[in-house]
Amino acid sequence: MAHRSEFLAISGVRTHLLRGGRGTPLLVLHPEFAANRWFPYHDNLAAHCQVFAPDHPGFGQSDRPEWLEGVDDLVFHYVDLLDTLGLDQVSIVGTSLGGWIAAELAVAHPERIRRLVLVGAAGIKVDGIERFDVFLHPVEETLRHLFHDASRAAQLLPTELGPEVIVRGYREATTLARLSWNPYLYNPKLRRRLQRITAPTLVVWGEQDSFLPPAYGEAYAQLIPRATLRTIPQCGHLVPYEQTELFTQHVVPFLTASDTTDQ
Amino acid sequence: MVQFFYFHLMPWPHLPDDFDRRHASSWITLSNRHYDPQRGHILYNEYLDEMERAEALGYDGLGVNEHHQNAYGTMPSPNLMAAALIRRTQRAKIAILGNAIPLRDHPLRVAEEVAMLDVMSGGRIISGFVRGIGCEYLSLGVNPTHSRERFYEAHELIVRAWTENGPFSFEGEHYRVRYANIWPRPLQQPHPPIWLPSQGSTETIRWGAQRRYPFISVFTSFAQTKRLIDEYKAAAEAAGYTAQPEQIGFALPTYVAETDARAREEAKPHMLWLFHRGLKIPPHFLLPPGYITEDSLRKFLAAGMRPPSDMSFEDLEKGGYVLIGSPQTVVDRLKEIQQQLGFGLFIGGGRTGDMPRDKALKNMELFAREVMPHFR
Repeated sequence: MAHRSEFLAISGVRTHLLRGGRGTPLLVLHPEFAANRWFPYHDNLAAHCQVFAPDHPGFGQSDRPEWLEGVDDLVFHYVDLLDTLGLDQVSIVGTSLGGWIAAELAVAHPERIRRLVLVGAAGIKVDGIERFDVFLHPVEETLRHLFHDASRAAQLLPTELGPEVIVRGYREATTLARLSWNPYLYNPKLRRRLQRITAPTLVVWGEQDSFLPPAYGEAYAQLIPRATLRTIPQCGHLVPYEQTELFTQHVVPFLTASDTTDQ
Repeated sequence: MVQFFYFHLMPWPHLPDDFDRRHASSWITLSNRHYDPQRGHILYNEYLDEMERAEALGYDGLGVNEHHQNAYGTMPSPNLMAAALIRRTQRAKIAILGNAIPLRDHPLRVAEEVAMLDVMSGGRIISGFVRGIGCEYLSLGVNPTHSRERFYEAHELIVRAWTENGPFSFEGEHYRVRYANIWPRPLQQPHPPIWLPSQGSTETIRWGAQRRYPFISVFTSFAQTKRLIDEYKAAAEAAGYTAQPEQIGFALPTYVAETDARAREEAKPHMLWLFHRGLKIPPHFLLPPGYITEDSLRKFLAAGMRPPSDMSFEDLEKGGYVLIGSPQTVVDRLKEIQQQLGFGLFIGGGRTGDMPRDKALKNMELFAREVMPHFR
């Protein structure tokens, strides 16, 4: 499907944005591994919504400002982005890091979120459940680990590993470290704040997610007032990339439902 | 005139038999169940005995350093080892090479400990500062993207604590204290010498040269050492002065025996232990995200540098990562190097890797008796 690439100045941060489709506005927030690309699941969503898929600051083609130190900085960035685009209210689909940002945004500005989809979202910690450490492993190994069918990781691996590809990967890993080295991929305060979310919420989790195991999805579904959990079989952490069709079957009807049909 | 330092890493030589095959590294993930405190007790005491012996043999100083959670060097607190040495030595400088200040949550603790050591020793302390290696950011949970700014900030707080009358307040990005006022103050004035042991980013070298902090190149090839030292000298010129030999040092694993052939044969397994086991560190352990800048990574990749664990013994010798031979060979080579680098500080060692005690003692005696006098 047709989509286009553009750059916006968001409070001084040069931000790369992919957009496509028509309909109600949908912000799609990428995981820590897949910036700067339009995937088949974007097409599926753009068939029903107007999709805005920005690169987070410090990922893909977006600049990394010096002041970027935490996900709270990204919340302000995305509020500014919505204002710049003139969007009062949007739905959000966020995966992994993108899911964490989406949850924080919905906590800070519940009135601006119509519907929320959290996919394998980082951001909270469940005691006693081990997480995979992306900082302790080379990225190729991490990506293979994140998929239930490791061969599906190929779509996210660079086709050739030249110096510039390595430097780009290091840059994105550095951004991720700035955001979440310690505490590792969570905000200790988020758990208590999730009750503030007012939007109908769909929590989507891969049944074989070994990065953030399904107990994380269950915790999110319990902590967010109007949340439903969908577990996707034969699927690891990155659901939209591994089980694109199943993902679409669950997410599109949820996003396109009229607001009065909710529970 | 060269000053010689006897440097110790205090390695843990008793790696599991399957280490080469089964373990990715001697850092971070190698379980501490492989550390046996009973054997550790013996080793620590042997290592300290060697350092005391080095003073008796005429070394100018004794070098200790900080590393965490690994078998390469079991000295998480160099200040403790410095304290142990102070009361058993009289003359030698004690060089801490160095305290990894960004790894500390409270740099004033370093300022206090070094001041204590300086007062206890009557002013024999040299205070090196390092960032700590990449692995240590994983091991200790400190954010590697903050490493450099914490280094500069901790350094500033420590130097101010040593030199300003307290109390004063310090409010940085990473460290804040409202009443800095350390007791004791250091004995050496204005403060103990600060050295900069490093594998050398351009930025660190320039920063050190501007402050006239001696630069110590650590465990790299001769070509790389020369490049770093040339960079330091150029930075000194740019800062308006000429770097002196006492500002230039390098750390080089050294082994001396009766003949070249014997030295090689005796040293080989232990040098290989250091580079193949002690320094078995995969790139993603060594360079966690943000530990170096994207520009430095680009340079690093362009230089096509090989990890030490890929190098053969011959590569290590040819590359100048180690210095091995008869006294005459070592004297000749050191003179050659001295002409090229103009160093005034040499940080050598006697007990590399899993070297047994008898070889270590012979090595240090031969080095002290038959090599050092040629540089006095």
